[in-house]
Amino acid sequence: MTKKALAIRRTVLIIFILFILMYLIPYFWLISTSFKTRVEAFSIPPKLIFKATIKNYRMVFIEKNFGKNLLNSMIVAFFVTSISLIVGLPSAYAFSRFRMKGDKILFFYLLGTRFTPVIVLSLPLYFIMADLRLLNSFIGIILAHSAFNIAFVVWMMKGFFDTIPKEIDESARVDGCSWLGSFFRISIPLTAHGIAATSIFCAINSWNEFLMAFILTGYKTATLPVALPGLMTPQGTFWGQIAAVGSVITIPVLIFAFIVQKYMVQGMSAGAIK
Amino acid sequence: MSLKVDSKQRTALMFHIPAIVLLTLITMVPLIYNLRISFYDFSLTRAGSRDIFVGLENYKMILSDHEFWNSMWVTAKFVIASTFIQLVLGVIIALMLNYYSGSLNRLLTSLVMIPMMVAPLVVGLMYSFILNPQFGLYSFLVDLFHLNLSKTPLSAGGSALFVLILTDVWEWTPFMALMTLAALKAAPIEPYEAALIDGANRSQIFFRITIPLIRPVIAVSIILRGVEACKVFDKAFILTGGGPGNSTEVIDLFTYREAFVKYNFSYAAALCVVLFIIMLIFGILYWNFVIGKQSND
Repeated sequence: MTKKALAIRRTVLIIFILFILMYLIPYFWLISTSFKTRVEAFSIPPKLIFKATIKNYRMVFIEKNFGKNLLNSMIVAFFVTSISLIVGLPSAYAFSRFRMKGDKILFFYLLGTRFTPVIVLSLPLYFIMADLRLLNSFIGIILAHSAFNIAFVVWMMKGFFDTIPKEIDESARVDGCSWLGSFFRISIPLTAHGIAATSIFCAINSWNEFLMAFILTGYKTATLPVALPGLMTPQGTFWGQIAAVGSVITIPVLIFAFIVQKYMVQGMSAGAIK
Repeated sequence: MSLKVDSKQRTALMFHIPAIVLLTLITMVPLIYNLRISFYDFSLTRAGSRDIFVGLENYKMILSDHEFWNSMWVTAKFVIASTFIQLVLGVIIALMLNYYSGSLNRLLTSLVMIPMMVAPLVVGLMYSFILNPQFGLYSFLVDLFHLNLSKTPLSAGGSALFVLILTDVWEWTPFMALMTLAALKAAPIEPYEAALIDGANRSQIFFRITIPLIRPVIAVSIILRGVEACKVFDKAFILTGGGPGNSTEVIDLFTYREAFVKYNFSYAAALCVVLFIIMLIFGILYWNFVIGKQSND
């Protein structure tokens, strides 16, 4: 490569990186605000160099009890992921291995849950949960979030099961293994990385979800996104604390997302592309 | 032979049973219940209204409700604009990313995917902070560069919708970029070699080879983004609350308001049925175009 071409290449790369960093400014802004005092957060011109403080975090998570909401978010995400996997994995396996009468209808139904707006399911679930005295309970929101995530597990895991050659199952069957046995002892271990990625996506879906949790949870079970708007009060908005909660919501998600980066496209387009 | 098929059917059913049972309970039952409510006149503000059967009255009301049509129009503008901008920006970013390989590519991809991992509600809050007229970064920049821009874009209808579109573009352009990047990486190299031998120039290669190769994936991405954009709620709820007036009142926000602010439960249920049917049509179209094609291949 000539010197000139190399210089152009390098310039383009620098411009591209600068563009990406500028694009991310709003997010960096959120993180930095969470470490600023009230005065620093509101200063004009914005302070780029400041003394970091964890006062916002202490204030909101300990004194305002958002620690409880953090725990709620974890509980909900954990159980949603578990239920979705327990119910979704066998179904995904069956879609990958067997043809059944009517399974196309079931497949379309699963796709349908992806297309259904959250509000369409939240409204009747609100009435049903109210009648069953399950409003503001963990069971209510966990079941509601699972409704969307089961389909997600089926879509994503079918892709992973499809990558295991059918011959492996068949040879296990010849050796006297039942379908259930070959599911548990062969297919699940062989797709462990896929299951891990799917679990992370499920947990993130539930962790980030707002509308359904907003409708179905109450004071005791509110997840972090549900509690967050409570920091915008008529007396004023606690921006530093909002930023602190926002950071706590997003940073774990980013860490996990980087771990499953390889499966990112697969997860995001689950059900759309094989 | 038929016995063997039957036993396979039974095994398949056994694997599907947990999903069928749970999904029936938590999706099918609510949807049917919702349909039932939509034929009644259930409102929290009137006692005993849960049992007043009104037939299709709620649906008639929807058709003549100006606010409903306004919301549909706002949503349509939002979906078309945000999906289109994401598409253009996403393809450009994907082409740039595809240019670099190895650890540099991984690092850049990690940075690019940050926005779509941020919870939509947090995206909305982030932008309302930045756009704050007193201390936000936006008004600081407007002053610094003496830009001829409104310092309160959220207080005028047109610009508020524009801001809402921008937040969606910010969050989901990475999705378009990653989908396109995956398609570019999966593209076969032979057509490019042949084109180079035939002496094609860069723009010819891009429009005649690259675009046709990535078109199926782009079509899927547009549908997925379009469907998700129809369901936008969090950002509108926290950033504009539907205002000013009802210039940013997207359809999900409108339905939410009818149900949980005005407590017109039956009217909201009818709205939900209408939304469900619209999305079902999209679902069937998607099924026929994408899934049908895949299984024929």
